[in-house]
Amino acid sequence: MLDDTVFWVLSALAVGSGIMVFRFDSMARATYALLLSLLCVGGLLILLGLDYLGVVIVLMMTIEMAIMGVFMVMYMMNPAGLVPMSMLHNKKGAAALCTGVFLLMALGIVLAPWPPRAGTAEEDPTRALGESLMGPQMLTMMTLGFALFSTIVATVLLATHRGRYDRLGDDLRARRADDPVPGGVGR
Amino acid sequence: MPEAAPLWAALVLPAALCLGAVAAAGFDAVVGGGAGRSGSGVLGTASAPLREGLRLLAQQRRTTPSADVALGRVGLGLVPVAAVLAAAVVPWGFVSVTDPAVGIVWFNAMEVLAWAAVWLAGWGPNSVLSLIGGYRFLAQGLAYELPHMFALTTAGLGAESLRVSDVVGAQQGLWFAVWMPAAFAVYLLSAAAMSYWGPFGYPLGGDAAGGAVAEYSGVDRLLLLGGRWLLLVATAAFSVPLFLGGGQGPLLPGWAWTLLKTAAVLAVLIAARRMLPVLRADRYMEFAWMVLVPLTLLQALFVAVVVLNR
Amino acid sequence: MDLIGVLRRVVARRPPVLLVAMPGATRERLAVEAELTRRGWPSAASPAAAAGLVVAGLPGGERPRWLEGLWHGMPRPKAHVAVDHAGDASHALGVLSGLLATGREGEAPWAVSTGSPREARGAGRQDRGGGQGAHRRQETGGRDERGGRGERGGREGHGSTNGRDGRSEWGGRGSHSGHHGRDGRDGLDSAHGRDGHGGHGEAGGQGGHREGVTAGLPMAGRADDRDGLRLDRLHLPLGPALADWPAGLVLDVALQGDVLQSAEEHPGEAAPAGRYPYWSEPWLRAAGGEAVTRGAAERRRCASHLDSVGRFLAVSGWPRPAARARGLRDRLLHGAAAGDVAPEVLRLTRGVARSRTLRWLTRGLGELPAGRAGELGVTGPALTAGGDVHARLCVWLREIECSVHRMDDARAVADAGGPRGRLDGGLPPSRALLDALLPLLPGAEFACARLVLASFDPDPDEFAGAGHA
Repeated sequence: MLDDTVFWVLSALAVGSGIMVFRFDSMARATYALLLSLLCVGGLLILLGLDYLGVVIVLMMTIEMAIMGVFMVMYMMNPAGLVPMSMLHNKKGAAALCTGVFLLMALGIVLAPWPPRAGTAEEDPTRALGESLMGPQMLTMMTLGFALFSTIVATVLLATHRGRYDRLGDDLRARRADDPVPGGVGR
Repeated sequence: MPEAAPLWAALVLPAALCLGAVAAAGFDAVVGGGAGRSGSGVLGTASAPLREGLRLLAQQRRTTPSADVALGRVGLGLVPVAAVLAAAVVPWGFVSVTDPAVGIVWFNAMEVLAWAAVWLAGWGPNSVLSLIGGYRFLAQGLAYELPHMFALTTAGLGAESLRVSDVVGAQQGLWFAVWMPAAFAVYLLSAAAMSYWGPFGYPLGGDAAGGAVAEYSGVDRLLLLGGRWLLLVATAAFSVPLFLGGGQGPLLPGWAWTLLKTAAVLAVLIAARRMLPVLRADRYMEFAWMVLVPLTLLQALFVAVVVLNR
Repeated sequence: MDLIGVLRRVVARRPPVLLVAMPGATRERLAVEAELTRRGWPSAASPAAAAGLVVAGLPGGERPRWLEGLWHGMPRPKAHVAVDHAGDASHALGVLSGLLATGREGEAPWAVSTGSPREARGAGRQDRGGGQGAHRRQETGGRDERGGRGERGGREGHGSTNGRDGRSEWGGRGSHSGHHGRDGRDGLDSAHGRDGHGGHGEAGGQGGHREGVTAGLPMAGRADDRDGLRLDRLHLPLGPALADWPAGLVLDVALQGDVLQSAEEHPGEAAPAGRYPYWSEPWLRAAGGEAVTRGAAERRRCASHLDSVGRFLAVSGWPRPAARARGLRDRLLHGAAAGDVAPEVLRLTRGVARSRTLRWLTRGLGELPAGRAGELGVTGPALTAGGDVHARLCVWLREIECSVHRMDDARAVADAGGPRGRLDGGLPPSRALLDALLPLLPGAEFACARLVLASFDPDPDEFAGAGHA
């Protein structure tokens, strides 16, 4: 009973704040509405017994949204994103796309032949989930991790305005990096 | 060893945390040299933060033109709430309000909520200096969060569990602070950084007229300034089960040891605070990433090797 | 039980005070600061933090709008006093405490001067150099209390959340709170038309056409930042009521995030004529033919540098040595014997010079090589240092150590080398300092810019051309 109540409250909040992301006209509010939505999703995972995943979602998404909020404000086209602006673009196309995707996924849920439950739930669902995800495919997961990480590094390298040769000289021998605002270590 | 706390403990916790914060702030005022001034003894100085709190409670709140009041207040309110939620997993002796299997991660998640909350508080008033304060805390957070996370992980690694009571249990005989000194030191640094306090008071820096708190008065100000003492007490108290053996110790009962050790950690932080000027994020960030992150990673590696060979 | 009364008295015991110094009122500022330290009252960094507003000195003509804004920006309960004469500081703070204790909120600052004898004040201005003029204090609330209260009665009330009055008006010229507009709906959905909108985005960059005004505040425009990105940019004035900021100085800056893109001096109020700038007074008097001993001049130099060091340490967020520097400054100015003060002064200067953390934090900021400084007409410590922020701090510390031993020299002053540079050049030394430091600010982050400014510490009192005796 209590679980049901919590579930419905969190779900309603998650969906409601998800909608508000597109209704708010301020970058900061939209970002933090999205954060609220994700926090509710984290809560739902905890409710399912996946404590670790739930709390990690709370942790990671908070960091992510706090940083994203600044970038959103920084890069918006009208002055700084500080002037109210609509979060909706290409309304018709987006609506059609969203409806299509939603129908597809809903159909999948309804039509998929879900297997009946066999046995009882694991004592530690997080561990069970981890083992079924990673256990037999550790190599895949590790490769994936490296691929993701090198993508991040490569993207930063391509995007950066000043590389190490600008900072430390052509032979990389400068004792102190030449930075617009000198850092604390000088490398 | 772990026991479930009775339900009323959840109600006592905020009050106890506030009491700890008032005591710590009072001690800070005394160390700060307020005592001995005309017409106030040690007691008068120690109660200065309490009087300041009362003053703020009775003070008018102010708003700024075209402020985002709602968002700002969410941020302000979230700071003390996050501190209390983080403190919920801190064992008092061997009893804590809640002892989830992922206690350490929970604690970190709540700290991060407070981090985002300070940015919100800085954003709210629509004023440059308070927004600068908010930005500063984001930058500072990026500097301390990773080393902090690795320090927490190291303690969890040593105990092979993320449950706080297991971490305490694993320190029978040898405190983690002894064989994970780097992680402990980094934890203390980031505890001060997290509560944007002392040398890490950059987000509320006087050079920006108070930064994130520049435009707040009354209850709003109390929430942000009081919230940081709550955060400081909570993080200092959490260092006890993580690195200082929790409630373990001879003669005295567990709760007394927890109290003593927490007070000692707070005293060290408060005494050390006056020796340093404010560390700016532009310098500290590079230091954190180039020195502290590798340091904590090496520490974690060392602990992992020890645990594997145990 | 009179709870409100009790709270009022709690506030009145040690109210946080926002101290604003008017141009030319260094003597009054020092008196108020010394008195605040003696009473143990905290100083507030912003109007929101303050319960009392203390204005050191009186503005020459109209009461400036920014001061009005400061007063409106303070939350109730609040009180205001103006200190027109250094000897009145103690009494004025007593009055402030009394106003807060009784709940008789002082009236707005601009209402004050009407109730006081203007002629007397005018006369006082002339002979103030002499020191002990008659008691002239500007205080609020006292006599016109009833009238004032009636006027504002509708909005009275403690803890009222009526934001209208408490809003941040310390914007305007005097404020340091610039505001982004958020109301105007232009530029909506302009995301797709970004390139076509290029001219639109240029606004802030050219400083020509501003993006428009919302709620009476200029909106942010956009311009290229130092990393080649195109980000928002906000024009706002810094000063004159910032804490630890040269009295009366106003800089017009453009900010991107917390990075300064440009900084110019805003022509501000000049210090009233007919009064020597406090810090260079002994040398100017000597040049004017009066008999001034070298010891007295060195005492002033030592105090001046201690004042600058105290301000620098406060800006760098190290309150304890900052307070010690200011305490020593006050003792020197009150005529403490050199022998009594010297050991403590040396302990302070050595402690600060030895701090590795401070060196680590300030190294490489605001480099001004000696050659460049010489070209710009800079003399004094900034020229001697010929380096970064930390080098200038160290020169101050060294000069303090030298001066503190020379305070008993009874010979007459022979040179014109004041604490901020030579006073016999064509340019007042502080003017040269300001010219030299402004080009160092663009590209610096807000905190660094404050440190750079504090490491030169120009004294706007000297701007008025008082360089010539």
